[in-house]
Amino acid sequence: MSAARIVGAATAAALVLGVSACGSGSGSDAKASGGFTYWSMWRADEPQAKVIKAAIDDFTATTGAKVSVTWAGRDIAKKIGPAIAANQAPDLWDESDDKVYGTTAAAGQALDLSPVLQLPVPGEDVPVSHVIPAKYFDMLPKDPSGSNHYVIPYEVVTNAMFYNAADPAVAAAMPTPPTDWAGLLGVCDALKAAGKACIASEGEDPWTNGLFLDYLLNGAGVNVAELSADRSGAAWDNPAVLAAAQQVEQLVRGGHLIEGYDATKFPAQETNWTAGKAAFYMDGNYVTSEVARQVPAGWKMASILPPTAKTPDAGLFGFAIPKRARNAAAAQRFIAFFLQKKHLSGISTTALNITPRSDIPAPAELADVQKTLEAPSLRLSFDGVGGSWLPKVLNENYLDLWHGKSTAARFVATCRADQVTYWQTQG
Amino acid sequence: MATTIEDPLRTGAARGRSERAARAGVGPLERQRRRVFWPFAAPALLVYAVLFVAPVGYALWTSLHRWDGMGGMDWRGLQNYTLLFRDPRFRTSLFNTLELMVVGGTITFVLSFALTLVLREMRARLFARSVLFFPSLVNGMVFGIAAGFLFSPTGPVNRALELFGVTTPPKWLATDNLLPMVLGTLVWTATGYYTSIIMAAVDQIPDHLYEAAELDGAGPFQRFRHVTLPCAWDVIAVCAVLWTVSSVKIFELILLYGGSTNAYPPVSSWNTAVYVYTEAFPQGTVPRLGTATAAAIVSLAMVTLITVVLRRLLRREPIEY
Repeated sequence: MSAARIVGAATAAALVLGVSACGSGSGSDAKASGGFTYWSMWRADEPQAKVIKAAIDDFTATTGAKVSVTWAGRDIAKKIGPAIAANQAPDLWDESDDKVYGTTAAAGQALDLSPVLQLPVPGEDVPVSHVIPAKYFDMLPKDPSGSNHYVIPYEVVTNAMFYNAADPAVAAAMPTPPTDWAGLLGVCDALKAAGKACIASEGEDPWTNGLFLDYLLNGAGVNVAELSADRSGAAWDNPAVLAAAQQVEQLVRGGHLIEGYDATKFPAQETNWTAGKAAFYMDGNYVTSEVARQVPAGWKMASILPPTAKTPDAGLFGFAIPKRARNAAAAQRFIAFFLQKKHLSGISTTALNITPRSDIPAPAELADVQKTLEAPSLRLSFDGVGGSWLPKVLNENYLDLWHGKSTAARFVATCRADQVTYWQTQG
Repeated sequence: MATTIEDPLRTGAARGRSERAARAGVGPLERQRRRVFWPFAAPALLVYAVLFVAPVGYALWTSLHRWDGMGGMDWRGLQNYTLLFRDPRFRTSLFNTLELMVVGGTITFVLSFALTLVLREMRARLFARSVLFFPSLVNGMVFGIAAGFLFSPTGPVNRALELFGVTTPPKWLATDNLLPMVLGTLVWTATGYYTSIIMAAVDQIPDHLYEAAELDGAGPFQRFRHVTLPCAWDVIAVCAVLWTVSSVKIFELILLYGGSTNAYPPVSSWNTAVYVYTEAFPQGTVPRLGTATAAAIVSLAMVTLITVVLRRLLRREPIEY
């Protein structure tokens, strides 16, 4: 081992001290008892943690295997890399698919979990692959070994335009969901005439607002990841890209975004939306639990995708195993154990979220979302584009368009130019 | 007229000094000091080397590689640095860092001097100082969070402005106003802090100097210029360095004012600290620790250079009183 590696390992060890202080890494204790170590993205007081904790207790009672858990919270994504470098990583951890990919799988540090798909789900006499649809893996980018089975999902999310189906103004403006962009603009016009804003938007957030462009590009057959990967920038010359930007511009220039959206901070407009000041709010489906206590009685949560979108996007929260994990087999057995219906149902009933199993009904307010996720194929939001491309190329230019400071044509031209510079500085 | 003949050798021999020490011209006290220098200094130097020099050295080494923090390092030489300077986003970050340092520093110190001028003369100055110092006790993040409420279009700030007849207040939280808002918060929190330090030095200045100046007909501003400023100069110079160093590390304020739950702040508002963060913790891809550390090293070099130049410029003969 070179001196650099030793210093590197020492630095990494110092970085993971925070986590390893509360729970040891993949250590000998766990191995001796046939158990494993698990770092969770949830804090102990979160409902998901309670569901997983109950399953762990059952796992230990059934198999005798001891599980050493650290409820690390979201910082886990920053700690896992240094932990792996210092050989202090847990045997099992969980995060969203992009975090698992970005922090470990993209660097070839995540174990291929294909064998888990062949394990039987305890008590159900079917393999894991039978209960977790392949479409959730097909949408993921492949790791250097060509696998996209580096995360096994237990919770799935999607992004959509949420609204209150019980709002008479919305029901009058939208008797049936629009099927094309002009239809949506028509709904917006009708709402405007009725004195209600069409879309509530947290103006400072390029991500949720960018989902409109993302879905429009998807509808036009443009893959955002491919668009971003073009070093020459020529992909921006595709007329479909300009057309999608112009459609976004129609929302802005048409005055369909709630007043003052460009001068507030989250959650100001989410609050306005729950107060009925606007009809739609684009966000991940976690918004339903986020506003559960705010919405007035009689609110009926429903959702649609922006019209023309072909493939709904999805995000996963799931288990992953570092490649260097010492007790990987035990961790894999637990993944299969947790996916049995009696435990996974807790994600729906206790954590009020959607599971990847179609035989577990979603909470009532997410019924529409579960229907959306039944599509034959799914995609990642922004087609999984990662790295600094979003902040350095798209986000600020898009916010200028979204705030009405730029035009669709100028947006496309600046993105094209910024993308060329971006790739020149990526090495 | 008396003449002093310096003859250390003769006195040295009389006190029994060794030939070697006598040649070096070192007294017993000095020799004793030199003997205990390393035993006393070594632990501190060791801690300094392990906790500061080694990490910086390692960062420098990392900056010459491509590294994801887990696998092996690929040697890239100075390529990370050349790419960094070709990246317009990094140049903007550098410019913003300097803007926060220079513009923020200028406003903060002008205000601090103005307050010093007033505070020295006023009654209840201890109370006034406590009030001024208070903002620096509050975590900057609180301001970032409170701003969303305070400066919203229907928030208290605009309501108050309405009372003064301002009907079209600016969009405080708009993307364009991000850096000015960060700057304003910084100045607001830092002014009280530096005023308190400078006032502590001003309190040590004997009153008779002010009285003499007053008898000579000096007004408040002249008293400040000819008595306060020169007498408190050392402390002011230290404050300037402290500001320079701390302004480079501003991070959470930009993240809180400009970031959302899903995205980084707009790239035009990044400073070097935010740039380093986005390279070290990118979304959906492996960390780019090579460029992250290269950006951090450039930032460190810049602040070191500015500090050295500042120390030179602010160097004065100390005034004893």
